[in-house]
Amino acid sequence: MSAYAEFAITSNFSFLRGASEPEELVAQARMLGLSGLGFADRNSVAGVVRAHVAAEEFKIKFAPGVRLVFSDATPDILAFPQDRAAWGRLTRLLSLGKRRVEKGECLLKLADLFDFIAGQNLIVMPPTQIDSRALGLLLGQLKSAASSRSVWLGASMLYRGDDARRLNQFTEIARDAFVPLIATNDVLYHAPERRTLQDVVTCIRNKVVIDSAGQLLEANAERHLKPHEEMSRLFRTIPDAIAETQRLLAKCRFSLEELRVTEYQEEKRSGFATPQEALVAFAEEGGKRRYPNGMPEKVRHALDEELRLTGELNYAPFFLTVHDIVQFARKEGILCQGRGSAANSVICYCLGITEVDPNAIELLFERFVSAERREPPDIDVDFEHERREEVIQYIYRTYTRERAGLAATVICYRGRSAIRDVGKVFGLSEDTLSRLAGTMWGWSMEGVTEERARRAGFDAGDRRLARALTLARELIGFPRHLSQHVGGFVITRSRLDEVVPIENAAMDDRTVIEWEKNDLEALGLLKVDVLALGMLSCLRRSFALLEETYGETRTLSDQDEDPQTYAMIQRADTIGVFQIESRAQMSMLPRLKPAKFYDLVIEVAIVRPGPIQGNMVHPYLRRRQNPEPVSYPSPALKAILERTLGVPLFQEQAMRIAIVGAGFVPGEADRLRRAMATFKRIGTIDSFREKFIGGMTARNYDLKFATSCWNQIEGFGSYGFPESHAASFANLVYASAWVKCHYPDVFAAALLNSQPMGFYASAQLVRDAEEHGVEVRPPDINRSNWDCTLENGAMARDRLHPRHAGMKNAVHSTCTLRLGLRQVSGFSEDDAKVIEAVRGDGFDSVRDLWLRTRLKPASLERLAAADAFASLGLTRREALWAVKGLQRAGDKDDLPLLARVVTPELEPDADLPPMPPGRQVIEDYRHLHLSLRAHPISFIRPDLDRRGIVAHDRLPEIAQGRSVTVAGLVLVRQRPGEGKAIFMTLEDEGGIANVILWIPTFERYRPVVLGARLVAVTGKLQNESGVIHIVAEQIEDMTALLSRLMNDELEIDTRGKSPGLLPNVKGHPRSGDALVTLLKDDSDLETVMPKGRNFH
Amino acid sequence: MNDAASALNLKHGAALADTRAMYPSIVVHNADRAADLALLEAIADWCDRYTPLVGLDPPDGLMLDVGGCAHLFGGEAALKDDVVTRLARQGLQACAGLADTPGCAWAMARYGETWVVPPGATRNTLRPLPLAALRIDPETIATLAQAGLKSIADIADRPRAPLAARFGQSLLQRLDQALGHEDESITPRQPLPSYVVERRFAEPIVLEDDMLGTIEHLAEELGRVMERREKGARLLQAALFRTDGKVHRIEVTAGQPLRDPKRIQRLFVERLGVIGDECDPGFGYDVIRLSALAVEHIDAVQSGFTDDYHANELTDLIDRLSTRFGMQRLTRQTPCNTHIPEFAVANIPAQLTRPDDIALIDRDTPPRPLHLFARPEPIETVAEVPDGPPARFRWRHVLHEVAAVEGPERIAMEWWRDEEGHALTRDYFRVESRQGGRVWLYREGLYGRETPTPRWFLHGVFA
Repeated sequence: MSAYAEFAITSNFSFLRGASEPEELVAQARMLGLSGLGFADRNSVAGVVRAHVAAEEFKIKFAPGVRLVFSDATPDILAFPQDRAAWGRLTRLLSLGKRRVEKGECLLKLADLFDFIAGQNLIVMPPTQIDSRALGLLLGQLKSAASSRSVWLGASMLYRGDDARRLNQFTEIARDAFVPLIATNDVLYHAPERRTLQDVVTCIRNKVVIDSAGQLLEANAERHLKPHEEMSRLFRTIPDAIAETQRLLAKCRFSLEELRVTEYQEEKRSGFATPQEALVAFAEEGGKRRYPNGMPEKVRHALDEELRLTGELNYAPFFLTVHDIVQFARKEGILCQGRGSAANSVICYCLGITEVDPNAIELLFERFVSAERREPPDIDVDFEHERREEVIQYIYRTYTRERAGLAATVICYRGRSAIRDVGKVFGLSEDTLSRLAGTMWGWSMEGVTEERARRAGFDAGDRRLARALTLARELIGFPRHLSQHVGGFVITRSRLDEVVPIENAAMDDRTVIEWEKNDLEALGLLKVDVLALGMLSCLRRSFALLEETYGETRTLSDQDEDPQTYAMIQRADTIGVFQIESRAQMSMLPRLKPAKFYDLVIEVAIVRPGPIQGNMVHPYLRRRQNPEPVSYPSPALKAILERTLGVPLFQEQAMRIAIVGAGFVPGEADRLRRAMATFKRIGTIDSFREKFIGGMTARNYDLKFATSCWNQIEGFGSYGFPESHAASFANLVYASAWVKCHYPDVFAAALLNSQPMGFYASAQLVRDAEEHGVEVRPPDINRSNWDCTLENGAMARDRLHPRHAGMKNAVHSTCTLRLGLRQVSGFSEDDAKVIEAVRGDGFDSVRDLWLRTRLKPASLERLAAADAFASLGLTRREALWAVKGLQRAGDKDDLPLLARVVTPELEPDADLPPMPPGRQVIEDYRHLHLSLRAHPISFIRPDLDRRGIVAHDRLPEIAQGRSVTVAGLVLVRQRPGEGKAIFMTLEDEGGIANVILWIPTFERYRPVVLGARLVAVTGKLQNESGVIHIVAEQIEDMTALLSRLMNDELEIDTRGKSPGLLPNVKGHPRSGDALVTLLKDDSDLETVMPKGRNFH
Repeated sequence: MNDAASALNLKHGAALADTRAMYPSIVVHNADRAADLALLEAIADWCDRYTPLVGLDPPDGLMLDVGGCAHLFGGEAALKDDVVTRLARQGLQACAGLADTPGCAWAMARYGETWVVPPGATRNTLRPLPLAALRIDPETIATLAQAGLKSIADIADRPRAPLAARFGQSLLQRLDQALGHEDESITPRQPLPSYVVERRFAEPIVLEDDMLGTIEHLAEELGRVMERREKGARLLQAALFRTDGKVHRIEVTAGQPLRDPKRIQRLFVERLGVIGDECDPGFGYDVIRLSALAVEHIDAVQSGFTDDYHANELTDLIDRLSTRFGMQRLTRQTPCNTHIPEFAVANIPAQLTRPDDIALIDRDTPPRPLHLFARPEPIETVAEVPDGPPARFRWRHVLHEVAAVEGPERIAMEWWRDEEGHALTRDYFRVESRQGGRVWLYREGLYGRETPTPRWFLHGVFA
């Protein structure tokens, strides 16, 4: 027999040991002409699915296995299950080892193996120092425990100098134990060039600098895959060892494909004969509830078709499980909503999993479940972010930890982490590393190029640096460790730990499997995503407040196409509204003018990196704004593209084009989608491209159209947004917009109580509420609870800001918003609950509050600093003075010196200087992050006027193209993707101004853009359908002007200086005037003002 | 924050990441507080010229009690000018304040506009200054500021009891100190605990024996001082002050912390034996000073009863030889952690290593030759491709037939040190020739993969 298969393969899923991707190893094995290969990562099967998929692709026989590494003195043993049952035993063995210890580790003893040894093919890998007796004994034990023909002794020729001598020893040991010898090369990487990277990861793992790693590293580059000829030459003295690889390969009959038939659990069918029957009954029952007047024909037809397909593919248990989880959430009052391809089915609508009426929109579930692909249904369910854990624990409780587990997420090296770790190995200083890492934005998958390093001020000729950069780039995409997926649950009927090992997660009470989303998809394992969504928390609160305060009942399924709501959306009056509140979305709204539900679906999907990278946004807008007749390249494509005016916007459309337009079979289209999503694309992408464009042109499509479709798919690769998701999101957009439109008080309260979430800070949310006529009152110890509440107030419609005058008939609010104590920075919920509990008729003094609540004086100080004692008639300063004066007998802050000091009752009046208004605002910002008194800018408006700076609310009056200067606090800086522009949002007392900076301008003013809290921007005004931008040409840091707020005559007076000596604030603050010294103790002024949030 | 940093608009307390985002190419060094303090101390030493009463006020201040000295420099204003000008000449920017009380002077140096406060004007001068001028902690300042109290006047004019109730006595104490209601003295700078002993002679000494005798006596004294603090000297200096002002400084190093006077003296004997001629006593030395420049902790041990002097014999010998011939000349072979045979051992000065530091690295590599050549010698061989052993080889013109061989042991070069990137991998063989010689050969370069014509070398000889 002349063939060789390699079994001892360590991939980079043995974290920081192997130095090649599974795909690389498989591809190399194929290229070298091996007859097969087995994977054996350290106590893990995390990489086998990727290897399996690649092996299918390259048509090479693959045996999944594990390298069992023991914590006792037992040498490593490779295990390759011979059938499905043995695989289950192996994964249970790993689960056992992993559940014993903390995340990421595995504690196994030899005795554990014996419990699960049946059906395993075992290769004992001898350690470097051989103890013949012990090894012989081990082989004997294994042989009698496992089947007699399934134990091998692994031999490797690694050029250690004494290879031949060792081989003789092994032959003897093996002969004595009646065990065959098998040839391996104990592979760590696919090709010798990877030795450098293997050395680097070894150093990272051992946390050493490469120069001192010495013998931690391999002595040579021999641990790569070798072809049959080479292995035969190395083992020429015992050719049988090569032949044994074929015998073992034949015995590894288990394929991961067999897991595909893993059945879904099916208990949730209470009283029905089959899951399918239960599903049909539940769906019909739900259908009656959804359509009290009878199901429309179209829906009836779709439901029947879906139920038929579900029955055929046996997916009923899956739907029943999701149904069960959703039912639980309903019962607990947790708001939830499903999305995903299967979620937008009539079944899910009838079961109450989703709220998007399939009758109200186009039937868009083409990707529902496809029979030919046997692709599992995809349902993600969003829950309130604060209460998702309850749902997760319910799932563990109901389905047990043996049968339910969270999917893993493979954390890969990205640009920054790679250069950090590799740089450390090369001994680069912490400072150098920060500078190199700083040349990249956040999560970039690009490495640091030599060019970038040079621009950051490094010597590009430095060999060591260059090497570090190259290796860091090579390391990008390598898995670093496993983490838990945000919420992907796998639930099985039989034991889940017989499918895949289960381990502890970093979080308490969570258990995770070893495979990630793509692996599960590849094997067709069903998964439910249990996700957390802040907006659902907000909406649940909104609905509760609506009911409580206005007696109006509202649910997610209320889809009433309210014109007033759409009118508000069209004006981009959408601060706080789900999804469409970002700058990019807001600038799109007035152009897109959504007027019906499907428009929202498009709106949600269009402002995404995918469509933007695919360059599809503008064609769509153009067609939408000029309703010219669209011509379609073919009727087939018309059916796909008609609802988006001929422009592919959704992932489903891109896939359909590949199938219909380019002649892909569905399986191929799906592989294409997957290929685009993986990071290191192993050469296959170009062949897809050729096939796609070739296929389209062959079907007489325009080359240009074909290319643009391809670009679109490419853009989707990493950011794909399916229509089905967009539809569910659009439903939340509508629901939240409706509340905001009609009950701005309710909306603001719910949003504030759900913080942190969304795009805006509480200051903007409060201000927006005020502009919509809601009176907002400050937190107060006698009025406020922890949460914001609604109090009786005035008609909001009479108080609308002129900008929102059109909403007069839409706004129904009659309440005043009372800010909760949660707004007081540093104040704890527990303390607030104590106040709520003992308040009774109210507190009549600081002392009363202190004595009754027993809160720590430090907590009371926070309340005083936040000016929450107004109802006692105390100013901020007086309250603070009073808190400071509380006698702290018995308190641990008690100062013994104070024991003899007069009691507070006898104190003379404090007679503190009143706080000037500007200072009040600053203090508000410091302790509440917002101020209800005035906007900081209003205090310096006269200065701004003198400089000819335009207030933001006057911008709409200015003609397009004019040069203007605006000034404001920097709220947000945003750089979408790797975009060419930076967006900046400025705020003044009248509103918001949006600034665009092209990269050259940004680079010129970089310190100002990123460092200043208050800037003045000069540039050309652009006004497109009422969306106003200023394209910055000049930027000035005006932060120093804010010190004006601290300045006031009263304070100066107390120092006996005449106002004539008042310094000129415009002057350099270091001019030596008295003010400078006065300001010294306020040097943190700038840290009080919002720093501005950065988004990528 | 210096002027350059202010010009960039950097902020105190800003996050490094934010600053770096603003200026990607900014270079950051960690603060070196020890160095700052050393500088401050050096300046304090220098200030001895004005008054013996110099107090340190770290991180950046000095307190000088110039009571009774000012007239020597032409009055208070002139004294202050003199300090500031002279410091400025050395590149140091100083702000000075001179007042009746240390507290007021401190305030003036940092917050004041008047530099010299006339007697009796303390209270009025202080009134408009911010509270920070009172040397109170920032937390108290912040709390007072929240209550609207910012200047010294704000609290000086206020009833004292409520202040004491809220902020404790220390606030009022600081106020009283500044105003002169409470005394405050300047703590003069303590000399660092040093290990210096010296002897002055009425009659200069000339003889070397007298000199060494003195050193021994001094060493004894020094040893006692050090023993009290459980220290021993690693670096000692004898300063010999000649009557004509010339100073000879002789330094010796010890391999282990040392305080035995005999051994100290012997080291100086060794050292003087080497440099004897350079120390010409001329008309004699009138002062001899012995100082320990570097000390390390050693436990106080009982000397006497059983004298395990032998334990120290080797280090003693090492110290003496190193002192005589130079540290670099006496080395210890120390294993290094590398696969490359010729770098696997390094010669480290014996004084810098201790036998127990040398943990033998656990090698599972095959044996290495007893004698490894510094330079591998090229040989001619006949060997099988790609990686077979040599059948015979010619070394130093003699042909050897190979009788037995083991290998190859493949050692790749350390790529991170390899500037050019083409260092060749070696295949080592242990070879026994028919004549009985046992040698270590290697092939340089992997046949085919790295080079078409590998060369052969003999790298060492086994016994």
